[in-house]
Amino acid sequence: MTASTLSTPRDSVKTWRRFKYPQSLIKYGIMLIILVFIAISIQYLNIHLERVLTMFGRLGNLFANRYYPPDIPYILDSEYLGYVFETVKMAYLGALFGILLAIPLSWFASFNMTPNKRFLYPVARFLLMVCRAVHEMIWTILLVTILGFGMLPGVIALSLFSLGFTGKLFSEEIEAINQGQVEAIQATGANPLKVFVYAVLPQVRVAWTGISIYTWDAAFRAATVVGFFGAGGMGWYLRRTVQQVESNRVAAILISIVGLVIISEVASAWARNKVSTS
Amino acid sequence: MMPSTLEHKLAKILTKRKKYKAIRYGLYIFIFLLVLGSIQTTIIKDTDWEKIGTFGTVVKALARFFPPDFSLFPHLVKPTIETFMIACLGTFLALVLAIPVSWFAAHNITPYKSITYPIGRAIMTLSRSVHEIVWGLIFVAAVGLGAFPGILAVAMRSIGFISKLTAEAIEDINPGQMEAIRATGANGFQVILYAVIPQILPVFVGNTIFQWDINIRRATIMGLVGAGGLGLTFHRQLVMYNYGGVTTVIIALLLLIAIGEVGSYYIRKAII
Repeated sequence: MTASTLSTPRDSVKTWRRFKYPQSLIKYGIMLIILVFIAISIQYLNIHLERVLTMFGRLGNLFANRYYPPDIPYILDSEYLGYVFETVKMAYLGALFGILLAIPLSWFASFNMTPNKRFLYPVARFLLMVCRAVHEMIWTILLVTILGFGMLPGVIALSLFSLGFTGKLFSEEIEAINQGQVEAIQATGANPLKVFVYAVLPQVRVAWTGISIYTWDAAFRAATVVGFFGAGGMGWYLRRTVQQVESNRVAAILISIVGLVIISEVASAWARNKVSTS
Repeated sequence: MMPSTLEHKLAKILTKRKKYKAIRYGLYIFIFLLVLGSIQTTIIKDTDWEKIGTFGTVVKALARFFPPDFSLFPHLVKPTIETFMIACLGTFLALVLAIPVSWFAAHNITPYKSITYPIGRAIMTLSRSVHEIVWGLIFVAAVGLGAFPGILAVAMRSIGFISKLTAEAIEDINPGQMEAIRATGANGFQVILYAVIPQILPVFVGNTIFQWDINIRRATIMGLVGAGGLGLTFHRQLVMYNYGGVTTVIIALLLLIAIGEVGSYYIRKAII
């Protein structure tokens, strides 16, 4: 008996596999499903795969012949720079309003701290979800149809965008706080507002500051294009030049957008770093 | 001697604190004034208040969107599926393209540090800094109308995010495993396959699912620049002044996004 078990060591020298029999089947099954889904989608969306190959030539052509000498003097024009300044202002106003609205809403929408689980919690959750689910461009278009052209719909659209963006992150931070401090403040007989101010806010302050800076960055990115649908700022120039097929100017505007976004990103990374270390 | 220095120190700290407090409040006041100034110039002066009219006219403008035009629903099925597929294919393409980009942009495994690292970083920044609408415009100009430019635009926008977080994860991996695999005589490719990928796979998959969720949102607007899906229907209803239809499209869009959110939650739970 023992001899036979010792004499058959070959069973145990099987090649090692990360996934044993049933799991490996599931893995390949999922891969197959994904591939079939991709094939069906390509068929359904009517994509001509042969066009994929010619795409690079056409993209190269687009950049080399139509976009290439970007009309740099156009973006250095004082009128355009004025609109850039407006865009910056729109972005930070939108981010600021969004963050200010997100403070109470994220408090209501955090499961552990919400003052009223029956009513306020679902309502706040739903509001945040709608703000986040509807893309900022759709907000812009809707607000432009209601309020007309100008900066106001842009600022409101960016506020809603920032509200959805920060609300979720803020409430996630609240849900991760240390309950001990909350209990300590509650034990003094404090009402929910006081608990929020003295037990929750000090714990999330640093994280929220970082998120707020990041929100400003994200709002600025969105602000560069809300004007495309008539809500003020440099996006309006983009629309005008795209529609008049002034490709050199489009290229110049794109360069200005990329440059500004990179500047804002570097600034926000620096500021976030400063906040988290201090 | 001892207490006097202590008092001295204490006084120093207190004056310092006072100074900081003054600076902080000064900063608050400055920011407050700045915000007020911006509100004055951008919102109050720039807006055409006469055109907006009274609160009543705004409510009237809002009321046009109700009730939703439910007769549109049967026509929304195809664009909704299209939007969903644009998001899925875009995410898949981004995932495939993010692999080389994150390989290039991770400081510790990039093949030729002086050439590939800046290339990877540049692609990452470019992809993230250009809004999806702009990518859509570029690709519609290059490959024509249809779902294809939408897929490309969605993919281009998410490459940056996926590869940024993946590259950061690669930079944080345990180098011991890489050394162990290299010590067996493995080449560079094998080191990545057996030492790097297993360590970053959860992060990579998690980020991809997160991006998929966001990409459904992005895919809904690709139609606005001519790239198929629900955005196209939205645009058509809007230019036909069928505001009830616009509301219906938004309802369809919310449903799609809710499905995506629930789906991504369960997939993430199943994997991690």
